[in-house]
Amino acid sequence: MSLIDFSKSEITFKIVYYGPAMSGKTTNLGWIYRAIPDKVKGQFTSIATETERTLFFDFLPVELGSVKGYKIRLSLYTVPGQELYKLTRKSVLKSVDGIVFVADSSGARRDDNINNLADMTRNLEEYEQPDTPVVYQLNKRDLPDVMPVDQLMDELDLAGKPVYLGIASSGVSVMDCLKGITREVVSKI
Amino acid sequence: MEGQLSSLVITKEDMETIDELFSQYLVDSQAKDIILLNKSGELLAKSGTVTRESALAVSALAAGVFSATNELAKLLGEHEFALTFHQGKETNIHISLVDPLTLLAVIFDNKAPIGAIRFWAKKISASILPVLQKMAAVPHQEPSEEFRKGLQDEIDNLF
Repeated sequence: MSLIDFSKSEITFKIVYYGPAMSGKTTNLGWIYRAIPDKVKGQFTSIATETERTLFFDFLPVELGSVKGYKIRLSLYTVPGQELYKLTRKSVLKSVDGIVFVADSSGARRDDNINNLADMTRNLEEYEQPDTPVVYQLNKRDLPDVMPVDQLMDELDLAGKPVYLGIASSGVSVMDCLKGITREVVSKI
Repeated sequence: MEGQLSSLVITKEDMETIDELFSQYLVDSQAKDIILLNKSGELLAKSGTVTRESALAVSALAAGVFSATNELAKLLGEHEFALTFHQGKETNIHISLVDPLTLLAVIFDNKAPIGAIRFWAKKISASILPVLQKMAAVPHQEPSEEFRKGLQDEIDNLF
């Protein structure tokens, strides 16, 4: 749910990084946190387990700057990808404005990608938000066992959808994905 | 199905009303901070010494805590728990439901007895509810095509 605050001339959008466990959602947020200047980013809040897996979510507020006299703010969240945290994923998705779906390009993660995407679609339908903008990042393109892009796109039914090839650990396509989803959510306002 | 608002608009006038109410209650209740947020974790308003940066994080976490608590409620056969309270050595936080979409987080130091905290949280909620109802009742005005296009054109400059 975009939040338009006329008293502060601000518009806030909620963007969620969704995807299977270990696909690189937190890595995306971590890169954004390091890449943007201090004065425009808030506190990086992470609820992680002792092994640094996301337990609840990561949260990073970002202030992009002003357009048309309105400050554009983004609330960036990640969800925990593990099957166990189904309800947490659904809860973080509440009132989302846009999603970056981070798929793991490894051939071994094929089913995890498909199942997680189906889980996301189901949650959006239950929230009556099936038209929420989504951009897709096919991450970890530097792995030795990556699936060919065409095949991964077929498996996830991504033809005609905004797709980015990423290596989030070294920042490849991280900012492009953020820019892509920001454009999408702004167009929906 | 769990429908929700597509966007929430806070006018300058609404914010002034909320600020005024919160300032008064900060004095009356001796709370340290009052934070209004929605269930999706967005900060709507804050009053007290808490910085905006902290209030943003408190909102995201408080909504998360509330949501987790409600899954617990469902497992126990309850529809929803209307409040959750955390007590620390120095500071306490009381998070309660104001309306189906909005939460109020009130932060107190340890001098306040629990009864007083509950009393004030209830009182603040009751006062803020008409403002929220008014906000929800105002028809959502679509931004003009020109505004939307201007936003689109300028987004690239922000990255």
